[in-house]
Amino acid sequence: MRNDQFLHLCELTHLKNQTVQLARWPVHKAAGLRILCITDGKFEWSIEGQKHILYPDDVLVICPWQTLGHEAGTLEIGAFEWLTILPEVLEKETDLRLGAWSNLLEGDQKIAGKLLAAPAVLPQFKPVHDIILKIENEIKRAEFAFQTRVNQLIDELLVLIVRQLGQQQNQRRDFSQVFQKLDQLLRADLEHPWTVEEMATIVGFGSTAFTEKVKAYSGFSPLNYLINIRISEAIKQMKTTKKSLTDIALEMGFYSSQHFSSTFKKLTGYTPGQYRKTNIR
Amino acid sequence: MDCIITVDIGTANVKVSAFDLGGKLLGRRKGSYPTFHPQPEHSEQDPEQVFLTVLYVLKNLLNDEVRTHRYRVAMVGFTASMHSVLPVSRQGVPLANAAIWADNRAHYEAAELKKSTHGAAIYEATGTPIHPMSPLTKIAWWARHEPRIFAKTYKFISIKEYVLFQLTGSYLIDYGMASATGLFNIHRLEWETQALDFAGIGASQLSEPVSVFHQVTLLKKEYAQMLGLPASTKLMMGGSDGCLATFGAGVIEEGAATITIGSSGAVRVASRQILQDNQQQFFNYLLTEGHYVSGGPTNSGGGAFEWFAQQFGTSLAHLDYEATTNQLLKEAENTPAGAAGLLFLPYILGARAPLWNANARGVYFGVNINHQRRHFARATVEGIVFEVYSIGKLLEKHRTIDSVYVNGAYASQPFWAQLLADVFGKTVSTNDNPDSASLGTALLMLTNIGVHSSLLEAAKTVKSGQTYRPNTVTHSEYKLLFDLFERLSRQLAEPFEAIAAYQEKLAK
Repeated sequence: MRNDQFLHLCELTHLKNQTVQLARWPVHKAAGLRILCITDGKFEWSIEGQKHILYPDDVLVICPWQTLGHEAGTLEIGAFEWLTILPEVLEKETDLRLGAWSNLLEGDQKIAGKLLAAPAVLPQFKPVHDIILKIENEIKRAEFAFQTRVNQLIDELLVLIVRQLGQQQNQRRDFSQVFQKLDQLLRADLEHPWTVEEMATIVGFGSTAFTEKVKAYSGFSPLNYLINIRISEAIKQMKTTKKSLTDIALEMGFYSSQHFSSTFKKLTGYTPGQYRKTNIR
Repeated sequence: MDCIITVDIGTANVKVSAFDLGGKLLGRRKGSYPTFHPQPEHSEQDPEQVFLTVLYVLKNLLNDEVRTHRYRVAMVGFTASMHSVLPVSRQGVPLANAAIWADNRAHYEAAELKKSTHGAAIYEATGTPIHPMSPLTKIAWWARHEPRIFAKTYKFISIKEYVLFQLTGSYLIDYGMASATGLFNIHRLEWETQALDFAGIGASQLSEPVSVFHQVTLLKKEYAQMLGLPASTKLMMGGSDGCLATFGAGVIEEGAATITIGSSGAVRVASRQILQDNQQQFFNYLLTEGHYVSGGPTNSGGGAFEWFAQQFGTSLAHLDYEATTNQLLKEAENTPAGAAGLLFLPYILGARAPLWNANARGVYFGVNINHQRRHFARATVEGIVFEVYSIGKLLEKHRTIDSVYVNGAYASQPFWAQLLADVFGKTVSTNDNPDSASLGTALLMLTNIGVHSSLLEAAKTVKSGQTYRPNTVTHSEYKLLFDLFERLSRQLAEPFEAIAAYQEKLAK
């Protein structure tokens, strides 16, 4: 493989191991975003300190700040393959930017980054192996426009993984659990400028079905529910801290104190100033 | 034209409904809020979010259904889930989230009180079984585990009281809600000293108990303005959702029972008398002065089936969760009664009535090599219904039950309703209006404003829906199986202790 043409694709490797080898697979970090697929055998690895047993067609996605390997360093019998992508920006708590080679929209890249930030194990996810094979063939044959094809295939791989990650969230859950999960995610980052698309992807739905389901289950549209959490959290802050209203507004994800004030009045009947005065005499 | 509004503050959501003075439903809106589990035994809700949701849903209903049809709001009435409690400061600021009925943090306090010499007397006086669900034991927990919060607490109130306090500025609790706190003397209608002593508080740290018919006309002007209601709008206290759901099913006199199976379940009867039970198996809650609703709750209703569907619906991975559940229910329905001799004890969340054993655990009994998933699906549903029947059967020692009304998301489904009819050996009916807690609240209000001359007359206006008659052959089969179900539940008491202790050890 000619590395100069694919600076963003830094590894594409198969590993087939026929005898147990000591000190060959210690816990380590990847250089970039690593997508790994088991093709044969059984592996007991530690992923971010958590023990996992992996079988063929299980897929791992690991960010450079996460660790992977066998606790004693042993390489067990079996085979796996991986590719490592080097995005332009891939850092903890920062928006993912893949680079000019990707055709994914900026907003979608951000959503992908958020979902990929936790180490992921996708059990029995066969499509990954097929795409890795295709990428490999394209590079080997080097036919017309193969670079474009490879970039498209990497995009496709990421799209499939992100969708699967979302769906993994809601499989075998009733919607009340999906909603509870959504509530936790929103609460964990109220400052974030959430969009409906982002919320939908994270819990594994398309935005149309998501909006309908949220409305039917909760009585709220997704954005109205978010506002409801933001204002209730703001109320708690106003009652229990000495923070300024502007600080509270920004922490709760309102872009200005005017925006906060008008939303607050609409929902509670009071302006934030009046409300604070009435409740903390 | 006049209408009335009911606000039902439930476990998962608030439902706000508008009724005309004939009791006809004009419209309904809901809004949900989450339950938090910051620690395994804790189940909490944020009172601020609940209140905001009440305002939001109420405002939407008023805008969409009431004002557009030029109705005048004659009265707003309230009902809510029982047993929630939160501490507030002198300024009315919540000092913690509300612990709801499912919160189990006070299990040591409950066990201790139950064993003590005061346990039986407190149960007799308050009508509330000694259990971690009751605010009595939860307040004792705060006293012991959160002394700083406890010291700052001006009052301990339920979510419903918090909503009313926000709207009006006064701390009031209706007799119905009070009767489910474990702190209220249901004979004398005042806070019970023995219980207050155990909780470590004085009566001034609770709201003032008033009749369910009590009206407040002090809607704060800011809320009146945002809701578009006159500040003189009458707010009626209303009662608890458990009692009002029974009343809303048309049950207020002896002879009938209601069965609720939602995510959990309960069997309830109504009477003018308190049910005397020296085994402490049943609750006695107040519908209003002189009207009691007695019965027993279970932890495992539809929730136990949902658990089953989540764990064992996997080979249907191409279906989403709801389709999986429906598919499993179909399999269960198409499997003959008795599940080929497979029996399920549904205590996956421990047992409330009638065992009252938090250490009870789930069991599939009698598994043989011919049992398939459909038998497990059938046995799961039958086990849940058996537990409900075990409550009903015990209740029959104290009350005659001629007719049964079912409600809740599961019990009102035809398959479940028929199964209940077959196991109970009684005719079972659904109600025309499935939301019986709201209807019960509406009927209470309509009686209060004089549309109905009495609660009895009001209850007579409730219409029933589908009727299910028991199959006598199936019923006698179920009698045999139920006998085994009861024996197993009793005989496993000792192994239940052992496995629960082992599970607790592992969890640490």
